[in-house]
Amino acid sequence: MHVIAKYSYLTLFILLAGVPLLAGLGYALLYSLGLTGVLNEGFTIVHWYKSLINRSLWQSLGFSFYIAFITMSIAIGLALWAVVRQGEAFRSGYLSFLIYLPLTLPATVIGFYSFQLLAKSGLLSRLGFQAGLLNDLADFPVLVNDSWGVGIIFTHICMATPFLIILFTNLYHNENLKSFAALAQTLGARAPQVIWRVIIPVLLQKSFATLVLYFVFVMSSYEIPLLLGSQSRQMISVFTIEKLQRFNLQDIPQAYAISVLYGMLLIILVIKLLGRNK
Amino acid sequence: MSKYLFKIILSIIILLPFAVLAVLSLGRNWAFPAVLPAVFTFDNWRVLLLAQSDLSQSLALSLFISIVIATAVTIASFFTSKFISFSPWRRRWLLIAYFPYMFAPVILAACLQYYFLRLGWAGSAGGVMLAQLFIAYPFGVIIFTGFWNERLHNMEQLVATLGGNAWQTYTRVLLPVAKGALLICFFQTFLISWFEYGLTRLIGVGKIQTLTLKVFQYVNEANVFYAALASILLAVPPIVLLWLNKRYVFVNFN
Repeated sequence: MHVIAKYSYLTLFILLAGVPLLAGLGYALLYSLGLTGVLNEGFTIVHWYKSLINRSLWQSLGFSFYIAFITMSIAIGLALWAVVRQGEAFRSGYLSFLIYLPLTLPATVIGFYSFQLLAKSGLLSRLGFQAGLLNDLADFPVLVNDSWGVGIIFTHICMATPFLIILFTNLYHNENLKSFAALAQTLGARAPQVIWRVIIPVLLQKSFATLVLYFVFVMSSYEIPLLLGSQSRQMISVFTIEKLQRFNLQDIPQAYAISVLYGMLLIILVIKLLGRNK
Repeated sequence: MSKYLFKIILSIIILLPFAVLAVLSLGRNWAFPAVLPAVFTFDNWRVLLLAQSDLSQSLALSLFISIVIATAVTIASFFTSKFISFSPWRRRWLLIAYFPYMFAPVILAACLQYYFLRLGWAGSAGGVMLAQLFIAYPFGVIIFTGFWNERLHNMEQLVATLGGNAWQTYTRVLLPVAKGALLICFFQTFLISWFEYGLTRLIGVGKIQTLTLKVFQYVNEANVFYAALASILLAVPPIVLLWLNKRYVFVNFN
């Protein structure tokens, strides 16, 4: 009975977690090689070749990496600063509840809020105008749908920072860092040394796997760049889905080739990084 | 920076999105450069929350999908994770569970759309729920793998030694001990389903209008006030779950 239950659940796991991914990647691979789909023309690597020499693909991958890198650098910096300087505030009192509130907003809603805040006719621009800092809409800088992804980065930071504050706060207490810091000070370390040599390295090392996964999550994000991104520079998910949904049928096999390439890249990256960490 | 000032500034930053959305959901006529809408009214809420309105139907549909997903995933992943946690190939199994996240859900949906279309499941609530299971179920397994440990294994063996059967082991020992983890898994998988956009849009082919899709629709129609209202509706269940979490689950853990 126990053995039947065990294999039933493991089969269910394979069917729901492993098979869809393999089936999806398999279909995308066959389509990109001309072996299935409306453009089924027999085995060809021409779609892969066209995808790989397409500058837009590498720009899109680079742009996604840039967004994730800047977002994570700023969010990690802010969260570390908050936890190291004001860590106790997140353990008790009203901030221990409030810090969870941003996590209740989906990416779609935070993206919409960012747009209302940062757009040329948004709240910041209106406040600037009322304060006499701006004379016209055109005086306000382009912060959304811009080619540097300022709006996308801002929105991801809004989402990531509270999450990382909660993560680091829990680690700080679970790893008993207060005692380590006291010990380091007893042994003669100065306050900056305690922060840079003891607290921050431990927090970053213990949260490495989560940070890598969050980095991948930002790189792969879809709703936020769809709302706040520009047409000239697209993140990889938006780039791929737009290619898939264009009227030009020649774009579809290339979109599937990009899906396979991106999927394999991420899987290899995460296995390497997480494997090395363990 | 003083602790008091830090708390005040951070509280304002956290609460600002909720305030902006609430104001916009009650507003009309927000012409530049006015900071606040010219008119405040409950009409937006009244119109959109009528039982027959699109939004109330989307709210009911989203709640239905998310509750079914969270319940099914919590039950299935509780048992699956037990076998995975005590398996000699635990790390390999867990790696499979991480894969759907590494692969962006929207790209996964694009690759799977063909199968859903061929099987006639695209554009149906059942199809969307099945697709969401591909993301939520592995996540449920990941949540529970931290729960199963040697102590629980020993407890299970102790019950068997004392003459308890499998049913008694689960109902009298394992499920009561797992109450907190079960609630966390239910909340988290509810949120995954509740927040899902790209996968739902592609597999639902626009026919399954959940609340997240409604927000996008209103944004594309440049209807700021309805988009704000739909956004608030999207935030309410997670806030209730957060409150329940803090009120009951964390208390039980402590």
